[in-house]
Amino acid sequence: MFCRNQTARATVARGSALEMEIRRGKFRKSVFLDTSQDSDIQKKIDHEIRMRDGACKLLAACSQRDQALEAAKSLQTCSTRIMAYMSELQRMKEAQVMQKVTRRSSDAGPMDDRLPCKGKVAISDLRIPLMWKDTEYFKNKGELHRCAVFCLLQLGGEIFDTDMVIVDRTLTDICFDNTIVFSEAGPGFELRVELYSCCSEDDYSAGSTPRKLASKLSSSLGRSAGKKLRAAMEPGPCSPVSNGGAAPLLLPVPSVPGPKYHLLAHTTLSLSHVQDSFRTHDLTISGNEECSYWLPLYGSMCCRLAAQPHCMTQQMMSGCLKVKQCGGDPQSWTKVYAVLKGTSLFCYHRQEDVEANIEPAFTIGINKDTRIRASEKDPHSKVQNICISNQYGGEEVTHTLTTDSREDTHRWMEAFWQHFYDMSQWKQCCDDLMKIELPSPRKPAPVTPKQGSLYHEMVIESSDDLSSTVSDILARRMQELELRSQLGTSPTWMSVFEENNAKSAGRTRHCTSRLSGHSPCTPHRLPRSPASPHRCPQLGLLSSDASLTSDSDSHCSTSPCSQHHGWPEPSSSFSLLSSSPSRLRPRTLSLDAKLSTLRGRGYGGGGAFQCPCQPPPSSLLAPLPISSRSPRSQRSTQTTLSCSSSTSSNSSSNSEGSHSPESSEGVPFSRPSPARRSLRNLRARLDPRNWLQSQV
Amino acid sequence: MSFVPGQPVTAVVQRIEIQKLRQGNNLILGFSIGGGIDQDPGQNPFSEDKTDKGIYVTRITPGGPADVAGLMMGDKIMQVNGWDMTMVTHDKARKRLTKKNEDVVRLLVTRKSLEEAVKHSMGTYHKQ
Repeated sequence: MFCRNQTARATVARGSALEMEIRRGKFRKSVFLDTSQDSDIQKKIDHEIRMRDGACKLLAACSQRDQALEAAKSLQTCSTRIMAYMSELQRMKEAQVMQKVTRRSSDAGPMDDRLPCKGKVAISDLRIPLMWKDTEYFKNKGELHRCAVFCLLQLGGEIFDTDMVIVDRTLTDICFDNTIVFSEAGPGFELRVELYSCCSEDDYSAGSTPRKLASKLSSSLGRSAGKKLRAAMEPGPCSPVSNGGAAPLLLPVPSVPGPKYHLLAHTTLSLSHVQDSFRTHDLTISGNEECSYWLPLYGSMCCRLAAQPHCMTQQMMSGCLKVKQCGGDPQSWTKVYAVLKGTSLFCYHRQEDVEANIEPAFTIGINKDTRIRASEKDPHSKVQNICISNQYGGEEVTHTLTTDSREDTHRWMEAFWQHFYDMSQWKQCCDDLMKIELPSPRKPAPVTPKQGSLYHEMVIESSDDLSSTVSDILARRMQELELRSQLGTSPTWMSVFEENNAKSAGRTRHCTSRLSGHSPCTPHRLPRSPASPHRCPQLGLLSSDASLTSDSDSHCSTSPCSQHHGWPEPSSSFSLLSSSPSRLRPRTLSLDAKLSTLRGRGYGGGGAFQCPCQPPPSSLLAPLPISSRSPRSQRSTQTTLSCSSSTSSNSSSNSEGSHSPESSEGVPFSRPSPARRSLRNLRARLDPRNWLQSQV
Repeated sequence: MSFVPGQPVTAVVQRIEIQKLRQGNNLILGFSIGGGIDQDPGQNPFSEDKTDKGIYVTRITPGGPADVAGLMMGDKIMQVNGWDMTMVTHDKARKRLTKKNEDVVRLLVTRKSLEEAVKHSMGTYHKQ
């Protein structure tokens, strides 16, 4: 961390007078601070010191390993920030002193040096590949050696840290998802990336038993005892400086028991590494295999480093101009409001157009191939013109600008010169605007305890949104059926529907708990059936009940009553189903997604997780597709229902069930035409039980 | 789309950029995938070569983000956001598509009709 040739870092030598005075508190820093800039930094330093004290206290107080690691990480970040601010302060003081000296000695002439504009630099998608021994990686033997790692990124006075990642030998790369944006960076910036790691074992006692001795002891003591002892005797930091290889400290870092991060690798990125895509950079690795915090790094780091200089994103100059294209009518001056931004000079008709985001009247390109010069004095006016020449294809196009006064011309020329200077300094960043995605504030992902199995990591989504979808569908169905019934067509099945409905509605009122048992499937079935408003208002109730209890009982117990009520449920639903033989049923996107999710759940195909309530839903789903096939005769469906509860028909009906929703693209429930049989075959082959499919 | 193990795979691909759709707490793409190196390739109804263990699109939700972007059923997904999908497990493929912090996925997909289109256009060129 301490580089002699880095001018940005100044050091206060340990034991120097300045340091002692500061420590003793003899001199308040305000004595040295004249300007508001200094007081800003002072405030930042104080803030960081407070944060550091808080982190120390937290570290001393917390018992859980995760908290300790996080606290240690903030401690490290705060210490680094404090040092950076201190050195910044030191530098500013030195600059002040130098200024005073020069003022005294000679007349300070006007500064001719042009300063390039600042810009935003963003680094994202950091990925550091690891290189485990293949025996370690594939065989997965021995105890899992885990390390907690994070990256510290420093540019100028800004220091950011990434989130902490726990690394063990099951990972091939260390990935940091954060996007870090530095706001004020000059083109000569140096972005220092440091990777800190800390061994994440149970005991943090800072022993410094050499590793060989530790391994000997552990092997001679027997496996489990040895493991514990080895963890307890983790070899201390291997680098000679024990406080993380940091520069000499200005203020004493309180030594707190707990995890300590050590510098594992570092690298420095600059303007030449900036590109709009991913690039690989080399890392300098400190530490060796004997250290406890060691990780086998491959030696490189991939990241996307993008820069947006202000000359590309902000308006550098704007004002009123008169433009004439060369070769045109010498008197045809167009009055425009011109804005210099990025690689073009945008000419709008009026100033208000800029805010209104109206397209500019025309655009003159300003890039590194453009030539701008002031022309000779126009005999008609006293003001010099500015000529801008570009090469478009093989032609050279020249625009001539003129302003109202000499000062304006001078200002525009100055602006153009500054713009060219910026572009020459920022080089490849000015070819095109690089996109920087600002990290969107999002809720931190809930930390789930690692249970080891993939299935445990699956989160079963609540079907809250399903209830709204279902009721929407139902409401629409009700409206549609209402229209139909108004037309006078009342199919014969309606009567069956009615009487069944009364039964089922009555039943469902009581058996909400049992209904919850079918919750994954009832919402599935309901939307497929149209409902007439007068005849089954209870369906709305049905759906809401289902959805309300769906969450609590998604892992339903196969209670005997659920089986028993497997009967009346399907009968009502099928009759509802059969009401839509000749009607195209438009399907909604969310419904589709939900249906397939539910189907997936039911068959264990979606997201590869097994729903424990698989048998009952599938048995209930079975009658559905079959009835969809032949809605005509209720008796046939009744008979199929009779054998639906038996598992023998389950297998056959399941395979049909997997594709029935799709086959209803066009004509939902009519007899499948020969053309669709090939589709059916396809659907049969897409049975998730044979070939896993996931909905994304 | 057959490949020789160990040799580079060449295919005519189409770039498809899908904007994920937010639904409550989820970001959905609106299609289903099948396949993977841990799955039985013989069951894949879309693959020409029945030893192809690649990731195929098995279903598109009509009107969904994938449908809008031009993804078609039967497409083989070669890359997702730069990550290779020709030699991944099924779950890895699913995870690469469903990262919560990504709003857009850029796929490279290939299908038989693309190759035929290229051949056809080349054929007409030769005729001239």
